[in-house]
Amino acid sequence: MTSTAAVLAQQGDLLVKPEVEWVAITPLLVLVGGSLLLLTLSALTTRRPRRGTYALFTVLTCAGAIIASVALWDRVQDPARGEFTALVGALTIDGFTVFFSVLIALSIALAALVADDYLRREDLEGPELYALMLLSGAGGIVMAMANDLIVVFLGLEILSIALYVMAGMHLRRVESQESAIKYFVLGAFSSAFLLYGIALVYGATGSTNLSEIAAFLSQNVLESEGLLLAGFALLLVGLGFKVAAVPFHVWTPDVYQGAPSPVTAFMASASKAAAFAALLRVFFSAFSNHASDWRPIIWVLAVLTMVVGAVLAVVQRDVKRMLAYSSINHAGFSLVAVHANTERGVAGALFYLLAYAFMVLGSFAVVTLVGRRGDAAHDVDDYRGLARERPVLALAFTVFLLSQAGVPLTAGFFAKFYVIGAAAEAESYALAVIAMVTAVISAFLYLRIIVTMYFAGDEAEGDAATGRHRVAIPFGAGVSLAAAVAFTLLIGILPGLVADFARDAVPVLLSAAP
Amino acid sequence: MGSLLAPALLATEAHAESPEFPILTALIVIPALGALALALTPASRPELSRLVGVGMSLVTGAMSVYLMTQFVIDEPGFQETSKHSWIESFGISWNLGVDGISLFLVVLTGILFPLALIGVKPHHDTKSYMAWLLLLEAGCMGVFLALDLFLFFVAFEIVLVPMYFLIGGWGYGERVYAALKFFLFTMLGSAFMLVSIIALAFLHERATGVLTFDLVEIAEAQALAETTARWLFLGFAVAFAVKCPIFPLHTWLPDAHTQAPTAGSVILAGVMLKLGTYGFVRFGLYLFPEAATWAAPVLVTLGVIGIIYGAIVAAVQRDLKRLVAYSSVAHLGFIVLGTFAFTSQGLQGGVLQMVNHGISTGALFLLLGMLYERRHTYEIASLRGLQRAAPVMAAVFTVVMMSSIGLPGLNGFVGEFLILIGSFPTRRWWAVVATFGVVLAAVYLLWAYQRVFHGDPDDENATFADMTWREGAVMAPLLALIVFLGVFPRPVLERIEPAVGRLITHIEERSDFTEPAVTRQGTGAVEVVGPAAVEEEGAEEAEEAGAETGGEGEG
Amino acid sequence: MDDYLPLVVMFVLAVGFVLLSIASSKLLAPSRPTSAKDAPYESGIVPTRDNPERFPVTFYLVAMIFIVFDIEIIFLYPWAVIYRELGAFGLVEMLVFSVAVFVAFVYLISNGALDWGPLRRSRRLDGTLDGNRTSSSTIRRIPSRTQVEGEAAPPAAREEGASREAVAAGAAVGSTSEASTSTEVPV
Repeated sequence: MTSTAAVLAQQGDLLVKPEVEWVAITPLLVLVGGSLLLLTLSALTTRRPRRGTYALFTVLTCAGAIIASVALWDRVQDPARGEFTALVGALTIDGFTVFFSVLIALSIALAALVADDYLRREDLEGPELYALMLLSGAGGIVMAMANDLIVVFLGLEILSIALYVMAGMHLRRVESQESAIKYFVLGAFSSAFLLYGIALVYGATGSTNLSEIAAFLSQNVLESEGLLLAGFALLLVGLGFKVAAVPFHVWTPDVYQGAPSPVTAFMASASKAAAFAALLRVFFSAFSNHASDWRPIIWVLAVLTMVVGAVLAVVQRDVKRMLAYSSINHAGFSLVAVHANTERGVAGALFYLLAYAFMVLGSFAVVTLVGRRGDAAHDVDDYRGLARERPVLALAFTVFLLSQAGVPLTAGFFAKFYVIGAAAEAESYALAVIAMVTAVISAFLYLRIIVTMYFAGDEAEGDAATGRHRVAIPFGAGVSLAAAVAFTLLIGILPGLVADFARDAVPVLLSAAP
Repeated sequence: MGSLLAPALLATEAHAESPEFPILTALIVIPALGALALALTPASRPELSRLVGVGMSLVTGAMSVYLMTQFVIDEPGFQETSKHSWIESFGISWNLGVDGISLFLVVLTGILFPLALIGVKPHHDTKSYMAWLLLLEAGCMGVFLALDLFLFFVAFEIVLVPMYFLIGGWGYGERVYAALKFFLFTMLGSAFMLVSIIALAFLHERATGVLTFDLVEIAEAQALAETTARWLFLGFAVAFAVKCPIFPLHTWLPDAHTQAPTAGSVILAGVMLKLGTYGFVRFGLYLFPEAATWAAPVLVTLGVIGIIYGAIVAAVQRDLKRLVAYSSVAHLGFIVLGTFAFTSQGLQGGVLQMVNHGISTGALFLLLGMLYERRHTYEIASLRGLQRAAPVMAAVFTVVMMSSIGLPGLNGFVGEFLILIGSFPTRRWWAVVATFGVVLAAVYLLWAYQRVFHGDPDDENATFADMTWREGAVMAPLLALIVFLGVFPRPVLERIEPAVGRLITHIEERSDFTEPAVTRQGTGAVEVVGPAAVEEEGAEEAEEAGAETGGEGEG
Repeated sequence: MDDYLPLVVMFVLAVGFVLLSIASSKLLAPSRPTSAKDAPYESGIVPTRDNPERFPVTFYLVAMIFIVFDIEIIFLYPWAVIYRELGAFGLVEMLVFSVAVFVAFVYLISNGALDWGPLRRSRRLDGTLDGNRTSSSTIRRIPSRTQVEGEAAPPAAREEGASREAVAAGAAVGSTSEASTSTEVPV
């Protein structure tokens, strides 16, 4: 509202030239710049680069983004300076932004390491996947720093369009193409919902800027809330699609299954986290004083998401599909934290997303390796005897699965603990109990995979009987797996480190500000 | 009492701060480190893995015994406490302590693990087997020593993983199914407990302004409304009832016990079932005294149903191991009865019986393991006349079995006797019904003994080899304990008594419950000295009676 | 609202003219269709099969690339109009924009998106396609004697022998070698 007024007032003499705080968006710039540089360099070199060059470049870019984020962290955590908005109030730079920048950059780095050998294995080598991943991640960061619904949409589209292409990256797998089309059509559809929601919220409040919406809502009482509530609902549909909340989850299993496995890893970690970032920013930060309106919707979404995710995961045979449904279940857990609508709830959601990112990246890294050439060996039976064949790989997968099941001393346990804590603090005990019961249901699924890896098949059957190649563990994927295991266990044993990070990253309540 | 205790607690804490050897931490850390060390040993050298595994468990066992010698008898509060902040923002700390209730369970864990490790050789993959068992030991120690709810839950839940892999990897028959069932049942129970723990901490925070998971702090504050406390108690009770297991939730137990490898069964019956009953005593009663008295009739009823049901079902089993598994259901019913009688004797009996059951059932499972190694079956019908082929083993089996039945002069009797006299004043009719359970135990065990050991051995059973020296060495300490605790339980009871007395007082102060004068007067003198004295007199008689009973069985 | 009246009138007139033309030609023009009239004109030779409906994929690709860059250039116009008012800020923004567009262009060029000739060595396709395949190696010149046999052969065989020109062109941008038999056998 104010910016429009300012523009109108100054229309006569000069255009308002927005001040661009380049420093504030360095993580974003590093990712986008890295992506462009990667494309240019690969275009200008005629010879095929040494193996792993692209992946290394991507990892270095992410490291750069993380370093830039850490520098920002010091700035926003400094009580004298604190969080600030950039680009005429379109972006908020605070701990929340930095948290997600780090999370997304880490996800890209780990996924890129896994993708390195995958692309070579599948004859798909090229810089495109890495460039798209970096761009997509940049979109995710935009979503996390958005202080304007339009910017949220912008970020979402940058994130999604790159993802659509990435999902269809595997030229010779029909499933990959199918997943890309499916994701694209449904994604575009959900974007439309989001846009419509933005329009309605704009209609109800007169602004798309989150700070201004919050200020408007805290100073005025709407005569009829219909428009605003419809706006909430449509925003939830749009964002719910991206986080894969039931009933907007139907794309998830097909897309996760069809997309190249490293891309799925990226989708489940970074893209989900970015969508939650937007959800938290919009609903917790801006719409907090209308919490009584949207909390019941989130309650229903959370319960549906957890139950459907857990129950349908159990009946799957394809490991990628299982993990897809389990990721729905995990989204439900994060929604429980969102539902709490407290600082601890948001911190819990942040913790959960970070912990889950490592578990799921690790899981899909294992899936990528076991998928073998063709990326098709994803049936549970393909994991038969993995513990004998590749004990370390099986152990790593076990760690990830147990962590997802919420066994103590893994990241997943403390994540669940944090979320349940937030729910208990908000006195939603029913939700907490339902959440834990679904955790047990989905534990069955994780145990099933573990059973297949460790106990299925007799010793007599041997490796020769299966007549297939031994799963190879290339260097890049090995590094990625080691990092994921290390983080999963480290966060599990010393959760304080990340818990404090998450606590300090909780965004300020916009509506609380006068 | 609470206010009186506070200085004492402070004193012990101050005591702990002096730079002493942190023995409790070591009890958890050493087996865990052992597991890590095992992970680094080469898989191609099983004997080295075995050495590390047994060595580490022996060190832990020795430390637990040392802990017992260091234990201050008259101190009702927690001793050797060590507290370090772990997750500050949640008020979670690495908070350990031991009192009379947990002391002997720690010692039991410390003793049973090396015996199980020495006594049973895994048929493959020694390295992982040893590593999982050591991890299991660390987890069990953690449960018994934790004074922080979060730490307790972590330990309570983490024990599932090693046990799951032990059953699934080294078990028999339907091992995968049994492992899965065991894991899911227990995890479902724990799920409710986790919600309860968290809710408890946050409600405590709301009332007092301090977010903490410290057991003592929360229990002493008692900041909950009555209804809330009851709900939270139910959450805990479900978890413990599954673990115990209490009657309708017991179905995982026969499967898990039967399919588990021998060492797994020993630990499962000997130590892990106690996690549930110990949880009731330490957390159920201490945190929610009012709710516990409120729920006691139901739990006691279920416990008594378990006693009778377990005994009857055990009697009709064809599988020897399954029979022993069901007998555990019955024995654990006794412990539940004693615990929820809320009398000094009842609780003491309950705690003692936990130890007794661990020793005797652990020993039984070890014997069954030896039997299986020779005959590769647990089926009662295919075993006959083993007494003639293996007299030493038969003798050992007799003693252990008599201990399980509760023959006077052996340890089982002391525990059951205390439970029955302790529960009689407050739960008369339940105690009366439970007494029949003792008789039924004699029926199914003696009948099984008769079928397996008596008669003329047929071909396969005639060549049954008797106990080796190694097996004898494993059984010897257990036999010694069985007899020692039966004849002279005083050193144990006098250490349990102060802690139990304190717990009863805690319950009385915070609920409508008052301990009947009969048992109250007894505190300090009668039941500590009483049974011991009786047993010392009647020891010889008892031995004779045992022989007679055996004779009757034969006839 | 009055300001828009001329526009509306203009719109109505335009639509009206189109409708009128179509309707009048339908009504007034004589219509006597014969099969010869409907057939496509192929230098006087009677067509033996349907028209080829496929174009080399490069056509579409170039069209799309053209549209993308064309539209991006449009952004330069408004910027140019208020170039002075925007000053350094505008310059920087436009520079960033141009760099992004240019990088995309470089990428396209290097990937051979605008190559029309025979298959060029493309890094992407090294694994799947043989770089030695050129228009001379993949197109079978059918000698005159076999030409007669070719006529007698069933349609399937004829398609197999079809020229692979389209393949060679299409493959340069990533279609695989199965890319259809689009052109007709020169009879």
